Amino acid sequence: MKWILFLGALIGLSCGREKFFGDQVFRINVRNGDEISKLSQLVNSDNFKLDVWKAPSTFSRLVDVLVPSVSLQPVKSFLKSQGLEYSVTIGDLQIYHEMDSIAGDFPDLASRVKIGHSFENRSMYVLKFGTAEGGRRPAVWLNAGIHSREWISVATAIWTARKIASDYGKDPTITSILEKMDIFLLPVANPDGYVYTQSQNRLWRKTRSIYPRSRCVGTDPNRNWNASFAGEGASDNPCSEIYHGPHANSEVEVKSVVDFIQEHGNFKCFIDLHSYSQLLMYPYGYTVKKAPDADELDKVARRAAKALASLSGTTYQVGPTCTTVYPASGSSVDWAYDNGIKYAFTFELRDTGHYGFLLPANQIIPTAEETWLGLKTIMEHVRDNLY
Amino acid sequence: MPPRLQPPPASGTGRPRAAVLPLALLLSLALQGVAAAPAGAGEPEDSLRRRDPELPRGLLEQAARAALHFVNFRAGSPSSLRVLADVLEGRARVNPKKECQVDLVFTTDCYNPEEGEERLGKCSARVFFRNQKPRPAINVTCTRLIEKNKRQQEDYLLYKHMKQLKTPLDVVSIPDSHGHIDPSLRPIWDLAFLGGSYVMWEKTTQFLHYYMAQLSSVNQWKTNDDAIDFDYTVLLHEFSTQEIIPCRIHLVWYPGKPLKVKYHCQELQTPEEASGTEEGSAVAPTELNNF
Repeated sequence: MKWILFLGALIGLSCGREKFFGDQVFRINVRNGDEISKLSQLVNSDNFKLDVWKAPSTFSRLVDVLVPSVSLQPVKSFLKSQGLEYSVTIGDLQIYHEMDSIAGDFPDLASRVKIGHSFENRSMYVLKFGTAEGGRRPAVWLNAGIHSREWISVATAIWTARKIASDYGKDPTITSILEKMDIFLLPVANPDGYVYTQSQNRLWRKTRSIYPRSRCVGTDPNRNWNASFAGEGASDNPCSEIYHGPHANSEVEVKSVVDFIQEHGNFKCFIDLHSYSQLLMYPYGYTVKKAPDADELDKVARRAAKALASLSGTTYQVGPTCTTVYPASGSSVDWAYDNGIKYAFTFELRDTGHYGFLLPANQIIPTAEETWLGLKTIMEHVRDNLY
Repeated sequence: MPPRLQPPPASGTGRPRAAVLPLALLLSLALQGVAAAPAGAGEPEDSLRRRDPELPRGLLEQAARAALHFVNFRAGSPSSLRVLADVLEGRARVNPKKECQVDLVFTTDCYNPEEGEERLGKCSARVFFRNQKPRPAINVTCTRLIEKNKRQQEDYLLYKHMKQLKTPLDVVSIPDSHGHIDPSLRPIWDLAFLGGSYVMWEKTTQFLHYYMAQLSSVNQWKTNDDAIDFDYTVLLHEFSTQEIIPCRIHLVWYPGKPLKVKYHCQELQTPEEASGTEEGSAVAPTELNNF
């Protein structure tokens, strides 16, 4: 009976707060009535701005509560002092919850599609944005989080997902883009790595795959694509951060994307989000040789960088990967380009080294907002130059 | 302010845009024949970014970063650390031993800019990279960003703040996973960065450059004597290999006095048992210190 009262009290809370990526989801185990009232006290207190995701029921004594980053310390202390048992659930759940929420809020436009799974068997989900049933419309692929420590790329992708959905029908640019093309967005291309950065090592980059006779874990998923695989700008040392893996597409996370895109067959644009350095690049990474479409891609990239800079003055350098950042073989963007996806770009988001991978949470929304202007510029060009 | 990767428009032999290069330096650059000139008489000495395939990409920025790490270390002032704003001009020469000399002019900004404050400094430097051996030789002069008295005042305030921190320090990582640095702990980060600058200067080559990603642990923080005695571990991010390198640093700092630093960085794991990861003479110098 007490459960029902508790349920009522908790559901009464509504949070119109902006999603913030320092947040964690606490799973609290309430074992008796006393603990229920202690938890209610915490949740009802306005100080912490807690958001209940899953309330207890007759069948479950587990309460999932979203705790904003600023409240993490005090909430932890409170739970500890009251003897309340809890665990911190892993980060990717939050992303998938949000994807589900977007698909639920915009059912005519967005759907969550499972494209495969990771080495540690986590699901890989994309959000598909499309305005027409059936057929294989020309499509855009937005890739993020392939290097797990680059959190700003995941955050930007998720913000962008909601932006696409909310602006459709209101903003003429995205509306006209979606009238002609579908957009597929993969916010966490490396879920195992992402979870590892949340729980074990914030600066982990690679996948978490294990191969026999190697005492090091993980492959660099952005050296594992079949584009000059094992060429210059990758390593055959399994302990290296740029280890290319035993063979191309050895990483199931990479293979899942390759299979999906090849099966679809009509992608025209592939954009990969990374951090950091503030660069907007196009093929090739695996050679200094000029790509056949380099001139056009350079023009588009410069327009996109200009649009991005127009918001807050954030400057991006533009150029081919190999000479702009460093040689890199087996990269996603080079693979896409060599497989007929002409508009292939890499973004290295904020900043230029001050915070690096540990970009403060208060820069998430400004980064996402300015990047959006760059993304729209590219997608507009694709829309107007379909081939 | 992000450093420009494109070199500035080459203007012949690097004639300064505004009266920047002191005449003495200009003369010494013209007169000094440090390295054998590249084959072919009359080869112009402007920025050689893509003309000479032997020169690594972004060489000018590389040299600027090395020079700045050195400037920061030498100044020994956690309150007036500088970051790279723009490379204005530069030129590079490679000798037959593949050693690389870079002469350049660049602008700097405050590491911790106060709200709305634009404090652009200017440096001219000669950086000598010793073909992937560490410890590039650096000759650099900079305009004063902050007036000397003000700098000493700020340092002393930081020092007093540090002396008041409760020991042992309850520090896990700075910044935390979300890039947050508690304002009360900011001086610790700045001091750690100062020590890190020494390490990053020594380790920078024409191909390798570093950023300080995180202060991962504080091993010891002693302030009972006059100076701050700080033993800690940082994680450096090397850009071209994308490696994260833990470095244990031990420094002693007192405002106005030269910084004393000792350090040891971990080398990359190899799949084999034998270490075999010596990068030429890189191992010995990592033990080098100026105590």
